Amino acid sequence: MIPLRYNVRSLTVRKATTVATAFGIALVVFVLASALMLSAGVKKTLATSGRRDTAIVLRKGSDAELGSVVEDQNVGLILASPGVTTTAKPAGVGEIVVVGAMEKIGASGVTNVQTRGVTEDVMQFRPEVKLVDGRLAAPGADEAIIGQRIRGRFRGMEIGESFNLKKNRPVKVVGVFTADGSSYESEIWVDKEAVRSAYGREGVLSSMRVKLASASSFEAFKMAIESDKRLGLMALRESDYYERQSEGTSLFVGVMGTLIAVFFSIGAMIGATITMYAAVANRQREIGTLRALGFSRRSILASFLFESLFLALLGGALGTFAAMGMGFVKFSMMNYTSWSEMVFSFEPTGPILLKALGFAGFMGLAGGFFPAVRAARVSPVKAMRA
Amino acid sequence: MSLSFGMAGLAIKNLARNRFRVILTVLGVAVAIVTFVLLRTIVWAWTSASDFAAKDRIVTRHKITFVMSLPKRYIDDVRSAPHIKEATYANWFGGKDPAHDREFFGTLAIDVPTYFKVYPEVSVPPDQMQTFVDNRKAAIVGDVLAKKLGWKVGDHVTIQSGIYGGDWLFDIVGIYTATSRAVDRSTFLFHWEYLNDAVSERRRDQIGWIVSRVDDPSHAADVSVSIDRMFDEKEIQTLSQDERSFNASFLAGISAVLKALNLVSGVILVIMMLVLGNTIAMGVRERTSEYGVLRAIGFLPKHVVWFIVAEAMAMGVLGGALGLAVSYPFVEQGLGRWLEENMGTFFPYFRIPPVVTLQAMLLAVLLAGAASVLPARRASRLNVVDALRRVA
Repeated sequence: MIPLRYNVRSLTVRKATTVATAFGIALVVFVLASALMLSAGVKKTLATSGRRDTAIVLRKGSDAELGSVVEDQNVGLILASPGVTTTAKPAGVGEIVVVGAMEKIGASGVTNVQTRGVTEDVMQFRPEVKLVDGRLAAPGADEAIIGQRIRGRFRGMEIGESFNLKKNRPVKVVGVFTADGSSYESEIWVDKEAVRSAYGREGVLSSMRVKLASASSFEAFKMAIESDKRLGLMALRESDYYERQSEGTSLFVGVMGTLIAVFFSIGAMIGATITMYAAVANRQREIGTLRALGFSRRSILASFLFESLFLALLGGALGTFAAMGMGFVKFSMMNYTSWSEMVFSFEPTGPILLKALGFAGFMGLAGGFFPAVRAARVSPVKAMRA
Repeated sequence: MSLSFGMAGLAIKNLARNRFRVILTVLGVAVAIVTFVLLRTIVWAWTSASDFAAKDRIVTRHKITFVMSLPKRYIDDVRSAPHIKEATYANWFGGKDPAHDREFFGTLAIDVPTYFKVYPEVSVPPDQMQTFVDNRKAAIVGDVLAKKLGWKVGDHVTIQSGIYGGDWLFDIVGIYTATSRAVDRSTFLFHWEYLNDAVSERRRDQIGWIVSRVDDPSHAADVSVSIDRMFDEKEIQTLSQDERSFNASFLAGISAVLKALNLVSGVILVIMMLVLGNTIAMGVRERTSEYGVLRAIGFLPKHVVWFIVAEAMAMGVLGGALGLAVSYPFVEQGLGRWLEENMGTFFPYFRIPPVVTLQAMLLAVLLAGAASVLPARRASRLNVVDALRRVA
């Protein structure tokens, strides 16, 4: 086998070409990894919002809480259904969800932000929600707590400031919460009655969430809710509900990212091929000498493939490293099922980084294959005579 | 000057010397151009909906949120406002076809007598229009939607509403087409009266939003302000915007996506430059002694630069032309048609705009020239003796 050092040193001989090729591959890997990370971020945000042992009750046919209506009078019936926990408190929460236009800071125009009218015991129902700044809203007061991700992004979204729930109905922001990275972090939470009166929705809820006795008691609960046709309600596992919400967005990001990566990689592979062909053409005599020394065609092929692989991995490592930096970037996007803006982060997971690096390796091997074959075919006699 | 042209001819002939490498490079440029055109077209298709929007139409909606409705009597106040020619209203019905659960399309309950006066670009054959007006259970659908879901005139369909609940029956009596690119051809339109009669007391006589046409687009901004002022002291305040700003505020929600796509379309150009620059640098390195000869027989450094830059630009032209030749059938016949049929709500019109074609061609040529500047300068600065001595 030809020593690997030979290839590494060959790459350093023509620095500009090596750098240009590696940089091209780095850009491709960066874009691919970023797209995958964002897709994972969307999934994570919407998936961690849902639990398997929690069910959400919506009006039949509703895609999201926003368009759903559940009458107050049905709350008792829902809570008394089979499958609902009898030990945990509270067993369920009925909430109202609306969207309101907020003025974005540092950009013109307004964006919709989801506002959730919550009950007093919401923090007990969602233990993953933690107050990180300020205090909880006083019950019945026109006070709000806001998700970490919208803090400072819109006018009024800061502790001590206030925003209008409706005209002349200011609500003061008193606290900021986190929720394990779930979509709640893009929401404003206000007292349920305040939202209902401001929006003229007395007596109705958007959704009813209940804790199940166990994850497996969902079927019994669903049966009970949906068999009563008069209610016109449906029950979903909370995890399924959020998965359905994220489907479109994460699919879009994933498809877009992959499509772009495929096109980009063709360009980068062509770059690698050109570089490797030039390397082979310039080193005819060297290759001839190596063959004359007794190295087999196969080891020449392997040697050039390695060189190309090494070059690509160099670029791949650079691109992956740069993509990890995207972990600090926040990406805001309209979620078309809730018609409100949500903030996502880029999730640098191990498998994604490995996939990106593997993709770089693939580009190197594919781009270097034909040049390596040509190198292996060099006739020692002709090459040395040239 | 004639010398320059002669050299340009020579430079192009030089392309034939390492055909394989040139073909690869041109392919690389072509791929980059296809990607660039595709990304730009996506961004354009998205933003064009707001550019094509009529400037003489004003949308009035609930001030806090478009999800909440306005009292129906507001329409009369709007109609009587100065400079208003026509006004209509509609409700978002949030319907879907239970047989095609995953297909998203807009469903609007419209005020039939006025809707088509405010939206003249929605065109319905006159006989179908007459049946639509006469039958309260009637609905008309866009041609793209009808094709996608296989609906024909005369079909009876069941639509489920996520907002109003329950199953609703409609007779499809017409298919509309659009004379403007901004109109979504996959919307489902039906009588507002049909909806209003069926809903509970609490939701009766509520309208989602009002769309009005002003007599002169230059009045749009003033009229918007005066409509909002009219309702400022009422129980529900309104927000009026001309259609273009209204669409733009929707676009704001995906502005990060647009920004990312723009950025990525720039990145592909950088990759293209790297590939091109690399090829040129290799060519220059191999021909160093030739440049020495050129200099020795009296050509100036600037001639050498011109020689190399012209060769690069020729490659840019070839790659750009090939890329565009591939882009048109790919985007317009393949992907574009698919997007219009399946995601018509977001991409009502997905075609390559001429400005993108022009941009792509210019960028291919200019960036090719730019990529060759460094190798060209290096070659031009070589000492004649050194260059000649470097016999490869």
